[in-house]
This record gives sequence, structure tokens and C-alpha cells, in this order.
Amino acid sequence: MSNLESIFFWISLVVYSLATGGYIYSFVFKNPRFMPKMTVLIFVGFLAHNAAICARYVAQGHLPWSGDYESALMGGWFIIAGTLYVGWRNKALQALATGTAPLVVIMMGFGVMRNPVLTPMAASLKNFWLYIHVYFAWLAFGAYTLAMAAGILYLMKRKSSASGVVNPSYDRFPSLDRLDELIFRYIVFGFITDTIMIAAGAIWAKDLWGSYWSWDPVETWSLVSWLIYGIAIHLRVTFGWRESKLAWMVILALSTVIISFFGVTFVIDTSMHTFQVR
Amino acid sequence: MIKKIVKFLSSLRFTLLLISLLGVMFLLGLWIPQVSLVSPALYSQWKQHSPSLVRTLETLGFTSIYASPIMLILWGFFFVNLALVMWQRIPLIRKRISLPEGRIGNPSTAAGYSFRASYHLPQDMDGSAIRGFLRKRGFTVIGDDEGFCGVKNRLSPIAFGLFHISFFLILLGGLISVYTRFTGMLDLGIGEPFQGEVARYNATPQLPKIGVPPRASFTVLSIVPMISHGTKTGLRVRLVDAQGVEHEADVNRPYKVDSTNFIVNQVGVAPLFVVKDSAGKEIDGAYFKLNVMGGQEDVFSLAGFHFRARFYPDYVVRNGAAATRSQEFNNPVFVITAERQGKPITQGTVTSNGVMDFAGYQLVLKELPFWIRFSVFKEHGLAIIYAGFAVASLAVIWRFLFYRREVIGAVRDEEGERLLVVAGRSEFYKSLTEDEFNGLFTTLFEKNGRTDA
Repeated sequence: MSNLESIFFWISLVVYSLATGGYIYSFVFKNPRFMPKMTVLIFVGFLAHNAAICARYVAQGHLPWSGDYESALMGGWFIIAGTLYVGWRNKALQALATGTAPLVVIMMGFGVMRNPVLTPMAASLKNFWLYIHVYFAWLAFGAYTLAMAAGILYLMKRKSSASGVVNPSYDRFPSLDRLDELIFRYIVFGFITDTIMIAAGAIWAKDLWGSYWSWDPVETWSLVSWLIYGIAIHLRVTFGWRESKLAWMVILALSTVIISFFGVTFVIDTSMHTFQVR
Repeated sequence: MIKKIVKFLSSLRFTLLLISLLGVMFLLGLWIPQVSLVSPALYSQWKQHSPSLVRTLETLGFTSIYASPIMLILWGFFFVNLALVMWQRIPLIRKRISLPEGRIGNPSTAAGYSFRASYHLPQDMDGSAIRGFLRKRGFTVIGDDEGFCGVKNRLSPIAFGLFHISFFLILLGGLISVYTRFTGMLDLGIGEPFQGEVARYNATPQLPKIGVPPRASFTVLSIVPMISHGTKTGLRVRLVDAQGVEHEADVNRPYKVDSTNFIVNQVGVAPLFVVKDSAGKEIDGAYFKLNVMGGQEDVFSLAGFHFRARFYPDYVVRNGAAATRSQEFNNPVFVITAERQGKPITQGTVTSNGVMDFAGYQLVLKELPFWIRFSVFKEHGLAIIYAGFAVASLAVIWRFLFYRREVIGAVRDEEGERLLVVAGRSEFYKSLTEDEFNGLFTTLFEKNGRTDA
């Protein structure tokens, strides 16, 4: 990690942490006026995040694509970018950061403890399929994270409505119906990009490892999470699963994606997805 | 009875059960050590420690779980279920993509429409203008002022079938690939020709059940491994085929010929060692493809002597012992132990063009080229698999992004005013559709006095 990258990385991490605290404050102390300020804070953190990525790019000559630290750096970027984008399109969705910002803080904190050293681009990564594969992987992760965040908002708002306790912070959210549909839309977006990610990875794997599918642990987990979101779509479309059931499902399903991205290579040494840059 | 079985096999509950069971099997495969994923040494160690457990798991096929009988049965049921579901859905898809001619619903009372509204029609606007507007927005419109129906992305339900067909394409391609697959390892040094001989492969290659081994003929011209700051950044291999055409391969860029990928993934040193007698005359010499990268020891024999070799690509003496600063070839040195009849005679280092004296002889390292290990894979059916991937990706995009929207409407005279009464619905996204239809008709009437019905 270069000095410049280190400075911007820690600024973004601290700012995201402050914003997370701010969102929690808004809910606990029923102070919705605090929320827009936290969105501005997240945007400031995002600028520092961009600067950290640029500094790393300049220092090592390629975008951060592999290893736990780089995955956390880029993954966090996609999640925060997605959060800001949907919040910019629809102000009622700015509160999605309540769910996404803490996850990004944990991810980036985990990443920086693993392997932030600067490395040249490994030969195994020099392929244009990498960009397609990783780009769609992060889009999928971002979308599934937004679905999880919408699920959390849904459950919080529903609980608040059911208990009859007035909390003006929840008034800033979209209606329960809209949140419910948003969860599904994010799942669908994630599922589409996940499908493309798996297909692109398989095509790349043929040239790199000689087989389009090797039952590598990361491949297998990705397939498991793809199947779980496929089941979620079937349950919604065919069996009418919605509201709390779907919200809980997307919150729990995200764990499979997190395991694919970080958990497998953390536990298992034999994955080919480490690319010698653990 | 048969009807009941078919009904169960074609049910979505069964689909979900199968997907869940497949998911459980995949997870078991991550938890139980798999023969194909762990090293043979580690596997036999596990077998020694827990013989009864391993025997049970082997009997169930769980140590090769992805090709185990249980997994194959589940896949079998999965495809039976998929085929039955598709067969049953064909009439439904045909019904969904057909326009509801002769049965256009009443927009005020028709069930299942989440969006309902009525608008005052301006003087200069009639029903045909509205239908024209909808057509411009991509709707296929039928009917007249009495009642019309517009459908956008009418053919979208076909994507459901395409998505499921993609699984069959992947299955077909996968089966062809399994039966035509050749796998082998091939070690070649610089200048060494290969003419497709099966005997040249390391150990025993996996021969295809259908088809022949790769027909390839080439000679390796050069091998350039690239390592920077401990990271392998490239492995450039130039080769020339029987027609004299030069090719270049690298990691991620295999040499492709005859449906075969020659993947370069491992490099080693192939030194030319020469033994000279006390008069300086060469009495023996040869290139040896040594497997010494990563600190491994390898052996070779010359002039009746055995030599144990360790290789240090960036040699340095650290705490009195040989070591390497990095994996870069900055200062390549061999540490050699010469032996005769199993007994060590002497130990020393040999640099490039250097000499090691032993028992009145000299061991000279004359050249230090590389050898390359090719992982060779030949198979057919990949195009079908990739077509399956493409169809799956496109179908899921088509189905969920270009989903079906339907609007029904009628122009009515009420209390001397002309009203457009409309109802709309879509697949999957109720709120989004309401917003879309609101926006659509607001654009049409430029906010000309909407009243909700």
C-alpha cells in the first residue's frame, strides 16, 4: 500500500464508519434530519475511496482485482457507488446506506488486515475475461447487498408500523410495498449479472486452467449462491413469497455471497482463485 | 398413479427440492476432501487416520462427489423435471404471447390490473391517436375506441423456455466434452520437437472415449519466464509448427490446434551438464529436465555418477546456508551433491558456465535453458456449452428486463365528456409499472386533467 493510498483508504474507512454511526443515531434517536447529512458524508468517503483506488492504480500499474484487500477495496466501491446511485435517483432510498455502509466498513477492515501489499499483475490475471468476470461479480455483489439493505429497511419499517411506535426516520423510507418490490428488483439485477459472471468465468477458466468448470471451492460456492437467488426468484414469482419472508431470505442469502468472495479462500488453501496473491 | 408421478416430477416444488438437494451436495463437496482437489499425499494421510470414515465415504462416492451416483441421479431428475416443466409450459407460453383478440377486457372492471386511471380526452384527440402513441412506445395494439389492448414485449415469455433450453445445451455440450476429452501433461525443452506421440506425455494421459488424441506437431523455440517482485507476470513460449508457422503461447493464451489447448503453466530448468576428466576432455554430457523449482531436489546421472541437485534462482548465502533472495533468475546456482554407489563424494555449487570439481573430474554447467510443462486438453462440445451460457444470459436479461406490459383501454362518453379509461399491468413489478403507466399517460396528455377511476 502506498502512503497516498493508505491516507485515502483510512479517510474513507473512518468517514464510512462515522456515517454508519450517524445512521444508527438517526434511528435510535428518531432524528431523520440527520440522514441527508450522512449521505453527504458517505459521498465524501466515496471521493476518498476513489482517490485510494487511483493511488493504488498509479503505484502498481493496474486496477485492484484480486486478493482479499483488493476485493474489499473494489467491492466496497461498487456497493457504495450503488448505494449513492439509487439514493441520487430516489431520495427515499438514501437510507439503504444503513445496511450497506456497515458491511463495507467490515469488508474493508477485513481486507486491510489481510494483504494490502502492492503486487504486479499476475500472469494468470492477464486476460480480458478478467474484467468482464470481476466487473459482473461486483455488480452482482452490489445488487445483492442492496437487496439485503432493502430487506433490513423493510423489516425495520414493518416492525415499527406493527408496534405503533412513531419514528419519523422510517417515514423517509419508501412504502412497504415499494420496498418489497425493490428487494425483488435488486435480486433480479444481481441474478442477471451473477449469471454473466459465472458464464464469463467459465470461458476464461478454459484458457487458464484447461476446464470450463473444475468444482473449485470458489466456483462451487458461487454456484450455490446463484442457486439460492434462483430459488428466491422462483419462490417470489411462482409461490408468491414476498414481504418479511423474502426480506429474511435475501438477508440470509447474502452470507453465501460473502463466503464466495472472502470466506472460501480464508479457510481453504486449495482454491485456484487465489492467483498467488492471497 | 403414473399421472400422479408425472405431476410430482413436473411440479415446481420438486424443482425447488432438487435445487436444494444439489446445493447440499455441492456444499458437502466443499466439506469432504475430494480426490480431485487435494494432493494424493494428503488424501492418503487422511485415509490412514480415518480408514473406516474414508471407506464409507468412498463407498457412497462422496470423495468424488461431483461425479457420484447420487449426484448423477439428482442431475437426472433435474433434467427430467426441467423437460416436463418446459413441456407443460409450452401451451401457457403460447397463450401468453398471443394477443387477446376478441376478449379485450373492460378497463374499469377487468381483474388483475394494478394500474387504473381515466383521463379527459382533449377535443383534438381520438382513440386512434392514443393507439398510435402506444405503438410508438413499442406496444402492439389491437382493437378500436370501444376497447383496445396494447402489449409491450409480448414475446418475453419465450425467454422462459430459452433459459431452460440453455441447461440442455450445457448438458449436451458437457456430455460431448466428457466423452471426447483428452488430458495429458507434456514436458518439452527448447529445441525439442513433438509430433503428437502419446508415449511422450507424462505418466498416462486420459484418452478420449470417442475420438483420437491431439494431432499436433511443433518444436519449442524459446521459453521466457517473467517474475517481478515475487509474482509470476508471464511465461512466454514461442513454438513453430510442422508448416513452419511460428506461434506464441503464454499463461492465459494457450497454443490452440486441432480442438486442443496446450496450456503453459509450469516452467523448469533444463541445464546442459558436462563431465570432463582430469585432462579436460568431455566424457559425458546431456540436457536434464530437472524438477527443482520451489526448492525441490532432483537427481541426474552422468559418467557413472549420481548427482543430487537443488536450484537457487537468486542465490545467496544466508546464515551459512544456501538460499534464494527471490524466484527471479538473477543469480542462478545449483548446489550439487555428487555420489558414487549411493555414497556422497563431494558437495559444491555450480553457476552458469561454472565448474565443480569432484573425484578428479569436473562437472560443468554449460547452458541453462528452460523446459516447459504443457497441460494438454482436447475436447469437443465447447461451442455448445458456450452457446448455452450465452442463451442463459440473454434469456434471463430478456425475461426480467424486457418483461411484458399490458394495457387495456376504451374511449367513453360520460356526462357529455369524452374519457379515456385505462388499466395496466405487468409481470413482476407492480410499483414500477404504475410509475411507468403514470408517466406514459402524463406524457400523452401533458397533464390534461387526470382523474383516478
